[in-house]
Amino acid sequence: MFKYALDLVTRRKLRTMLTSLGITIAVMLMTFILFGMTDLETAILTQFNAVFKPTDLYVSSQEVRGFGASQSAPTKDAQEQKEEVIINDEIKTKIEEIDGVVDVHPMFVLTGFEVYLEGDDVAYPSSFVQAMDIVGDDEMFGSFIGDEVVLEDTGIFVSDYVPSYFEMSNEEILGKKIILKSSSTPAFIASSSRGGIDREYEFIVQGVVDTAGESFWINTSRALDILVEAGGFEDKDEYIELIGYSQLLVRTQEGKTTDVEEYMTEKLGLNVISTKTITDFISTLTSGLTIALIVFGSISALVASIGIINTMIMSIYEQTKEIGIIKAIGASNRQVLIIFLIQSGLIGLIGGVVGLGVTFGLMQLADPFLVDLLQEQGFTAIEKFFHFQSVNAIYITLGSILVGILAGIYPAMKAARLDPVKALRYE
Amino acid sequence: MAYIEIKDLKRAYVMSKDVSVEALRGVSFSVDKGEFISVVGSSGSGKSTLLNILGGLDWEYTGDVIVDGENIKGSDPNFYRRYIVGTIFQQFHLIPSLNVEENILLPYKFSKRKGEDVNQRLEYILKMVGLEDRRKHLPKELSGGQAQRVAIGRALIDSPKIVLADEPTGNLDSKTGDSIISLLEDLNKKEELTIILVTHDQKIAKKTERIITLVDGKNV
Repeated sequence: MFKYALDLVTRRKLRTMLTSLGITIAVMLMTFILFGMTDLETAILTQFNAVFKPTDLYVSSQEVRGFGASQSAPTKDAQEQKEEVIINDEIKTKIEEIDGVVDVHPMFVLTGFEVYLEGDDVAYPSSFVQAMDIVGDDEMFGSFIGDEVVLEDTGIFVSDYVPSYFEMSNEEILGKKIILKSSSTPAFIASSSRGGIDREYEFIVQGVVDTAGESFWINTSRALDILVEAGGFEDKDEYIELIGYSQLLVRTQEGKTTDVEEYMTEKLGLNVISTKTITDFISTLTSGLTIALIVFGSISALVASIGIINTMIMSIYEQTKEIGIIKAIGASNRQVLIIFLIQSGLIGLIGGVVGLGVTFGLMQLADPFLVDLLQEQGFTAIEKFFHFQSVNAIYITLGSILVGILAGIYPAMKAARLDPVKALRYE
Repeated sequence: MAYIEIKDLKRAYVMSKDVSVEALRGVSFSVDKGEFISVVGSSGSGKSTLLNILGGLDWEYTGDVIVDGENIKGSDPNFYRRYIVGTIFQQFHLIPSLNVEENILLPYKFSKRKGEDVNQRLEYILKMVGLEDRRKHLPKELSGGQAQRVAIGRALIDSPKIVLADEPTGNLDSKTGDSIISLLEDLNKKEELTIILVTHDQKIAKKTERIITLVDGKNV
């Protein structure tokens, strides 16, 4: 029966091809959605994991919007406590004493400063200045350009966006002067009721780091000096006691990360962002997007199935006499039904396989361009974007066959119910 | 006891609420096993209706059709069409995209018989209908007589007990028509097949052992 159904499909090649085209387009859309979204998620996570280690935890005193939903839920007491927590040296020491903690790196975020390149009157559009005791070859960077790897008090690392913004090469910006100007009142000064002082701080570019995001990095000692001076604090101790560190990078032993995260959240009332929290969030986000896109893709599958229904009904009219013949020589209604379902399933299969083939071809052609584009956007860890996903390919192929069969049910039932006497007389 | 017994067979077609046409109005006759008979009658006499009923295509009748002692109303229509009867049509009704072999073997695709030597049976049939050298030809590459021989081969492949031939020579010239009738006579003798041939041609009918004449839906 399969061979006979195959014969019916191949007998009308043009019609089969045109009907399959609907499925092909739907499959191409679905393939791009499923594969593209999975590959996009993989690309983001690959880059993320290249920059952030899964054993790293970021501790802050303030809730970080956007990831709150995927963080472990703190208790009510912990939440109340959390609002009052200042990440000072006492907290830092407590964290260092937690079993599984390797080391703790204080971090500052300097807000309210404008960043200038020497000889340039226009401030750099982003003024995200971080302070952390890092070295240029730190694992957190994708790559590093510069001679000095230790960030000195007068040194600054810039992301590779900065030289490109100033239209110079990564090498050209090395040794150039970067100036931080406190032109507005920093947030911490407003909260501590201290008067702001207009100041300028000069740095020499020590290195260019290739990483996602537009940032500047200075070392914590210099950052604290600036924050104390600009904020009008007595000394560093007073600043840490009253304002605290902006963030702590807590590096943990493998396998202990979750325990450390739970301890800091529940016992110390801190907001903790783990790599897992963020990767889970990315996965949730891409899954949600994928589902939404699949719904749109399904509409094209629906349109394609209507095409199959139309073709199959036309096919019944054309094959009426033949249906009469095969019934007269012993084909049962069930066998006629199966023949038509095989036909529509084959149309779905042809559409699916062609769609997958064309899409893979296009993906292979587009891949180098996409990789270049992503690398320009900071996704330096990406070497290949599209990957063949055999499981998704199987799902898509089975889905195409299923769409074909479902679309063929009504025409197949119509064919099966044909009266053989009338069918044989049909002209 | 006759092999086929047809008793008071009636068939009416309802055309509308108030109009119905009686195609068969009480046909009764019997056929012995291995007999070669013809049913003759003018257009509208009920020949085709009778053949449709005997061929298991039309079950909306009253009366009885008893084959080998069993009323066919109690049998499975598909089984009856597959294994009891083989039908030969005036227009051959071959599948244009299938070659001679494939057309002859088509009933096997719907048959549930297992363990039979299909090739042996095919060779036997091809030899019998004289198409051994045309086995790979498509219907469009055959003459009318050859196409009808393929149709005969197809009707015989599943070893039916009865062969129904609906105007098998109607689309053929007289010489080719004679050869087809000779083939049916051979089959009747060699295979001991019971053959019911429907025709409006008295000359053809006279070549059979017995003639049943239908007039206005009744046999006379």
